Amino acid sequence: MTAATKPKKKEETRAEQKLRAFHEEGAFTKTYDASLVRRLLPFVRPHGKYVVLSLSMLILLAGTSLVRPVLMGDVVAKAAAKDSSALLFDGVALAALVIVAQVFGFIQMYTMQIGGARAMADLRATVFAFLQKLELRYYDRTPVGRLVTRATNDVDAVGELFASGVLNAIGDLVALVGIVIMMLVLDWQLSLIAFAAMPVVGLIVNFVRRRSREAFRDIRTKTARLNAFLNEQVSGIAVVQAYAREAAMAKEFDEINDSYRDANKRSIFYEAILDAAIEMVGTVCIACILWWAGFQKVGNHALSFALVVTFTQYIKQFFEPISLLAQRYTILQSAMSGAERIFQLLDEKEIDPEPVAADEAGPEGPNDEALALVDVDFEYKPGVPVLRDVSLTVKRGEKVALVGATGAGKTTITALALRLYEANRGLVRVLGKDVRSYDRHGLRENFSVVPQDVFLFTGTVLSNVAMSDPKPDRRKAERALERVGALEMFLRRPEGLDAPVDERGANFSAGERQLLAFARAVYRDAPILVLDEATASIDSDTESRLQLALEAVMEGRTAIVIAHRLSTIRAADRIVVFHKGRVVETGTHETLLAKDGVYARLHRLQFAQKRVEEPTLAVG
Amino acid sequence: MRRHMPAYLKGALVLGVFQLAMNRIDWWSKSAIDAIFGPHPEQAAQAAFVMLGLSAIALFARVSSRWYIFNAGRDVEYELRTVLLHHLHTLGAAFYRKMSAGEIMSRQGGDLLQVRLLFGFGILNITNVVFAFASALQVMAKISPSLTLASFVTLPLLIGVTRSFSRGLFSRTRANQEALGRLSDVLQKNLAGVRVVRSFALETREMWRFQEANKSYLDASLSLARLRGLMGPMVGATSAVGVLVFFWYGATKLLSGEISAGSFFAFWLALGRMTWPMVALGFSISIIQRGRAGYARLKEILDAVPEVTDGPAEAPASLEGTVKVSHLTFAHGARKVLDDVSFEVEKGRSLAILGRTGSGKSTLAMCLARLLPTPAGTVFVGGHEVCSLPLGAVRKTIGYAQQDAFLFSTTVSRNIGFALENPDNEEAMAQIREAAGEAQVLAEALALPEQFDTVVGERGVQLSGGQKQRIALARALSWEPKILVLDDPLSAVDAKTEAAILDAIERQAKERTVLLITHRVAAAARCDQAIVLDQGKIVERGTHQELVRAGGIYAAFAEEQSAKSALEEIDIDSLPPPSGDVQAEAS
Repeated sequence: MTAATKPKKKEETRAEQKLRAFHEEGAFTKTYDASLVRRLLPFVRPHGKYVVLSLSMLILLAGTSLVRPVLMGDVVAKAAAKDSSALLFDGVALAALVIVAQVFGFIQMYTMQIGGARAMADLRATVFAFLQKLELRYYDRTPVGRLVTRATNDVDAVGELFASGVLNAIGDLVALVGIVIMMLVLDWQLSLIAFAAMPVVGLIVNFVRRRSREAFRDIRTKTARLNAFLNEQVSGIAVVQAYAREAAMAKEFDEINDSYRDANKRSIFYEAILDAAIEMVGTVCIACILWWAGFQKVGNHALSFALVVTFTQYIKQFFEPISLLAQRYTILQSAMSGAERIFQLLDEKEIDPEPVAADEAGPEGPNDEALALVDVDFEYKPGVPVLRDVSLTVKRGEKVALVGATGAGKTTITALALRLYEANRGLVRVLGKDVRSYDRHGLRENFSVVPQDVFLFTGTVLSNVAMSDPKPDRRKAERALERVGALEMFLRRPEGLDAPVDERGANFSAGERQLLAFARAVYRDAPILVLDEATASIDSDTESRLQLALEAVMEGRTAIVIAHRLSTIRAADRIVVFHKGRVVETGTHETLLAKDGVYARLHRLQFAQKRVEEPTLAVG
Repeated sequence: MRRHMPAYLKGALVLGVFQLAMNRIDWWSKSAIDAIFGPHPEQAAQAAFVMLGLSAIALFARVSSRWYIFNAGRDVEYELRTVLLHHLHTLGAAFYRKMSAGEIMSRQGGDLLQVRLLFGFGILNITNVVFAFASALQVMAKISPSLTLASFVTLPLLIGVTRSFSRGLFSRTRANQEALGRLSDVLQKNLAGVRVVRSFALETREMWRFQEANKSYLDASLSLARLRGLMGPMVGATSAVGVLVFFWYGATKLLSGEISAGSFFAFWLALGRMTWPMVALGFSISIIQRGRAGYARLKEILDAVPEVTDGPAEAPASLEGTVKVSHLTFAHGARKVLDDVSFEVEKGRSLAILGRTGSGKSTLAMCLARLLPTPAGTVFVGGHEVCSLPLGAVRKTIGYAQQDAFLFSTTVSRNIGFALENPDNEEAMAQIREAAGEAQVLAEALALPEQFDTVVGERGVQLSGGQKQRIALARALSWEPKILVLDDPLSAVDAKTEAAILDAIERQAKERTVLLITHRVAAAARCDQAIVLDQGKIVERGTHQELVRAGGIYAAFAEEQSAKSALEEIDIDSLPPPSGDVQAEAS
């Protein structure tokens, strides 16, 4: 076993090994993957001019950094030659050079950021648009948090390539080569002496780089684990306290916290070595140069002080970028793994299919047909049928109530009509046409949906009523509210229709929210109304109000109502009874009651439920 | 902090050594240069060798200084985090209502980071800047006071520039984070409401909302980038101006022979050593401010007073499994949730607690184990008043399994064996399996990719609501406290499984006192006694038979459930097809 070869503080138990493997899995990715970079290119290309500008600035910058030490040496040389006017000129030139270099530096950095940030905004928009096309089935099994991470954190990780200047490494490389060439040209012997320290630095950097990269990676996984653990302690605090596990959890946390600290300390150590090595290597080089200069002088060779100054400056500039290598490497790596995860999502095959051609679609239905299901089977999860062999037709203008116990399959009917899901078998037609031959948006425009939990978003009453319009029509919204008998009620608020709606409509009562949703359906004025009635009990005053509103909404439209209230059921032309995924009975309230079948039992259950819910009945 | 004083002192000491070595290096470079361009060039070699030796010392000192001080900063962070979790464990529901999990996480992340920076980077830099200043000034002033003054012209400016940048960076980073937060929020809402978006055909509107958030995040990050981009050049330019002044003015002095080439060189090195500490000083001032603000925000958590604390009495050797509640009244603010509740359960007996949603059942259960601030003198366990006992003793005696089936992101076996001292040994595994079997989740657990070692949760395997609930129930069953309080353990379980689980609970009831909160009469029927809560009051009590006969809420529940099972029992395949043709029937 590996545990035997590597002595550990404590023997790991099986669960601990599994957990560690689980948390560390996926921490390894290739540092550079050409195919990922190729896929990123299309996002960068539209903003390529910024990146190109930035890269050319890098070259110019490298140029200025090559000239500066020469100028500095010249200042000293002019001083030695007692040429004061040339000294002034050099001083001004040096100042100008520094300023130009800083201006270039800013332009370089900013254009890189613009190009990068815009490309990332595009990438984010692509991910978002893609998410809108994914099938609902995909959402049923994927946590939302993970998808949010793709479009935020992962895109940001890729964006760091631009933001933190990993691409500047290109410029650094040019500068390094330039510095070496310049030094060799100026004095090759002195250069060799100056570079004598290089192999040592190379060894140190190499030694540190690998270990520090591992430490960085370790820190990343440990940080994630630390945060996840703490987050769970907070959200699961009730369980921890109820089971009196505070001490045990603190102990477990201590291990994570401790290994997080250890990983950080390792990184501190390597960073410190790298930092000190880079800092001191300049001094060592200078010492070498001075020694050589003295040696040369003894042999009566000419060597100017100016050259010593120039070389010293070159050496200082030489080691700066090297200190950034380890950090840039880590950023590159996390960018690559971010890109990998993003493209993995974008490669997902479960996207909504395109409309099928007319010859592939099922036969058309009669002209007066609003909705039809023919021999439909459906399951959300394989092996768990939800609808079995369901056939159902709703004529235009007809009002149909769907009833049945929870899980009988009523809501699924509406989901299939809107083509939120595909039927596993059979045919679904809307207004006589196979749903698969519609463009999805076009299909859904035929429906006004009032879901069980009314969905209000932050905005105003007006923007909520006119949700389907990009530009709300105030008159139309007023008429819609009036139709459902709620205009007066909403106008009573001081801001009228411009009254703000809080998140999820928290500042409105359940009855008001329901009325608003009805008005929304009237405003939308689609041919088919799909209403999933709320189950929550409401007072009788509101109930009669809602009843009137409901009748107003249904008027002149086809209505498919998942009904819970007797009053709603009675207002329908026909009742369709669902039981365990099948249509078992159909008829009016009276005929179905007389039959004493499923509907009759449902009716008794609902009556019993009402008794449980209503305090007055129960206590008496 | 005080505990880490030795580390900080050592760190300061080596920083002093480092700056001293650097100071010596400057002087030796002066003698080397003066030797080279003077009459005795051969002396340069000796100076160069001394410089090499000094470099080695400086390198060692520099590494050690970071090692001591940064590590001490990490140690402070580690300890603060330990204390924080410890304190979070003692806080109750009232605190968590006030501060959200997100807020707590942001404080333990962002604010703790600021505190750590203060205790690591901040202290290092402040110490370093003092030594660096002394060490460089000694060289510079000795060579030429006037040149020193001239070169220092930009120093205050440098500190000012970095300081204001550092401040701006902090606020823009925060704005950037907020924009990202809003973007995540838009995404989160869109994806969580994906059904609604599609049903209403709102894709265009959503795209527009997203683009808006995307744009403002882009703007925020570019505004941050502008400042970040400006900072380098500004700091660079400011410090370069200082160097330029020196070069020009120094060269003039060199020209007039006022200073030697060696002095010029040594001065240059010393000035170079001043730049970074000065830049860092600007940052350090901000780091100290932010560190203090971060600490204040952490303090808000650390100073929160736990509402439930240990009682004064010693823990008795063992507590009997009897429960007595007398005149318990409990209010959330002005609203009375429990109103004068009294009952008794003898050791080894079982009690069902029924009631509608919001009738106070869970509050009652949580008051028993003091998971809420139970009023003194209302709850007695084994004859002891719970508020007088240590919390640990109370909670180990009264096991409360909450309604919300919260699982930890760890293995299935660790979740079930949550209450076991040693969940990994053989004996515990047998116990875990048994509990899983009793909770009717064994077969499903074994069907998971790594059986009991499967990691569950957001990043692991996703479980259905029913599976989670049964694992949570197995967790409660493997616990074996004297008194087991189960809060609605069957809400997401089908009828067949329910019966099997009820058998298991009944077996439990033989060995311990069981309080079962439920809205299912079938479950309540198996208990010795039942009470019914309504608006915080006990409105009915008795055995199943008595209560059914009483015709109150309990009877209504019974009726509802028998209607439900009557419906469930209809065998779908035995039904005749719907009368007539469904399609034709439209009267």
